[in-house]
Amino acid sequence: MSSRDDILARLKKHAVDQVERPEMTFEPLVYSDPLEQFKKIMKTVGGNCVVLEEGQDVNEVIRSVFPEARSIASNLPEVTCATVNPDMLDDPRELNGTDVGVIRGDFGILENGMVWINQHTRYKALFFISEALVILLDRKRLVNNMHEAYKQPAFDDFEYGCFISGPSKTADIEQALVVGAHGARAVTVILE
Amino acid sequence: MSSHAKAAKKFIADRERTAWHDQALFFVREKRDRMAHNVPEWEALREMASNMKLHTIANLPYYLEMFEKNATANGIHVHWAKNAEEHNRIVYEIIQKHGGKNLVKSKSMLAEECGLSPYLEARGIDAVESDLGERIMQFMGTPPSHIVLPAIHVKREEVGKVFEKELHTEPGNSDPTYLTHAARAALREKFLHADIAMTGVNFAVASSGAFVVCTNEGNADMGTSFPKVHIAIMGLEKVVPDYDALALYVRLLARSATGQPSTTYTSHYKKPMEGQEMHIVIVDNGRSDILACTEHVNMLKCIRCGSCINTCPVYRRTGGYSYSYFIPGPVGINLGMLKSPEKYSGNVSACSLCYSCSNVCPVKIDLAEQIYKWRQNLAPLHLADPSKKLMVKGMRFIMNHPGLFYNAIAAGRFAERMPRFVLYNSLDAWGIGRELPEFAKETFNEMWKKGLKTD
Repeated sequence: MSSRDDILARLKKHAVDQVERPEMTFEPLVYSDPLEQFKKIMKTVGGNCVVLEEGQDVNEVIRSVFPEARSIASNLPEVTCATVNPDMLDDPRELNGTDVGVIRGDFGILENGMVWINQHTRYKALFFISEALVILLDRKRLVNNMHEAYKQPAFDDFEYGCFISGPSKTADIEQALVVGAHGARAVTVILE
Repeated sequence: MSSHAKAAKKFIADRERTAWHDQALFFVREKRDRMAHNVPEWEALREMASNMKLHTIANLPYYLEMFEKNATANGIHVHWAKNAEEHNRIVYEIIQKHGGKNLVKSKSMLAEECGLSPYLEARGIDAVESDLGERIMQFMGTPPSHIVLPAIHVKREEVGKVFEKELHTEPGNSDPTYLTHAARAALREKFLHADIAMTGVNFAVASSGAFVVCTNEGNADMGTSFPKVHIAIMGLEKVVPDYDALALYVRLLARSATGQPSTTYTSHYKKPMEGQEMHIVIVDNGRSDILACTEHVNMLKCIRCGSCINTCPVYRRTGGYSYSYFIPGPVGINLGMLKSPEKYSGNVSACSLCYSCSNVCPVKIDLAEQIYKWRQNLAPLHLADPSKKLMVKGMRFIMNHPGLFYNAIAAGRFAERMPRFVLYNSLDAWGIGRELPEFAKETFNEMWKKGLKTD
């Protein structure tokens, strides 16, 4: 008998009584002022939130937040300040040393500051290896909580996807919070 | 004296360090409380998460087969391992097939459970831990002392010293930011040059065939971004039915574990990336036996958040190394007993029965209740402490004889006025590590009788 069949047979032999799938008995957290809550929660998770003003250009914002950035990687056509299109590289390792990566988020979550990144770039390394990450997000695409998040139409339509909530961090040395463990040291979400 | 009490002696000898350790963990517990209080439906959420787990446990073969079918359709190679040996062999064979030498791995308690790193090391594979806490412990050559905060017992100066030796950081510099960024630079090289990536699995979504890995550092994602092979390993209890169920656990995990609204990265792996091969190993290693233990089946609900460890007054004051099982605290006491009562019964005494663990557990596992049950069952397993057994026998005799009982109290009142050296000496096993309680001036019986007279 293969290990697979053996394990499944043991699980069936030791089966516990049937338990119905529970129904949701509560009303999950909702927010009356999404924009304010998103700004607040981004602060909590160590991120930066910029609400694009009427007529303001994202490139202008990126340049003003990162005036010293030399390499800006993005495959988004609207990011004209990009210095490199990461999809054109032969090897994702070439992204090491990127100052700013600019990507698009699908939706944001108000309860925890997560933004869903469905990989639309050739290399996912871009999300993590860039020293700073800029996420462009439609301000109308803010959902209240995880329950709503996973119910977004066609959510399961991804190969790799990641909820990102602020910059990379660790508190592994004496519980002292340090930003910039392995991933981006700064995350800016620009709400369009 | 239990194995835990013996080992704890060493830890508590340094009072200052004990207090510091206690405080560091309680700080995490308090952060967890703030998070829980910010979610009005917290208790209903725990209840539902607990019941959803029970439903999943009752249908494990169904959901595991569904996961296998969907993951396979997504292009992931699914393997099954009955035990630690088979798990290690499968992982090694995949590495060998690809001629892998440099493996970079993110934190996995399952890898610890299976002894994977020493197994690979013996076969010439360099398995680099990429979580900062795990990396510190790897440099120090000792196992993690906590499942979520591996280096919680280590002081910054000690990290500074070991980094000085291993990463050539500035002598005497123990600033956490400086040290973390030194590790970042050193590990970046490891990430770029690894040929195999390994991760654990927090959740496997049956309906989609995807699996989820949660980190704050981004080490799992960085690790899987370059190598041509990604091996993920999971205990079979990690399967969840679908995304609606997953939502419950994602909401609870980080809030309970570290007091954050979520982990920084909650990564969903569904298909191998361009040019990559993706494997997942589903491991039993005793889990199907837990299913047969009606009293302890709830342990299969555990999502390894570590909140029971953070809140445990015994863990906080005795540290992870006082436990003989590799997982400490309430969760480890129970999992150790399920693994082998003969080997790990020395941990069941490490509980004051305060039940705080049961109250914080995000999936409502009856951790303390189970520890109590294990204790009750030590005698039939022939693992009870003979001196305690004798004492309990004596107590029962006295309690059943009121005359003897009140004499004993009078003797106790007399005894408390005796000099310390008479009461606390090496002949009195009970007095070692314990203080006698102060006897009440009057017994309830005496008060009751007096009260009857005055009324």
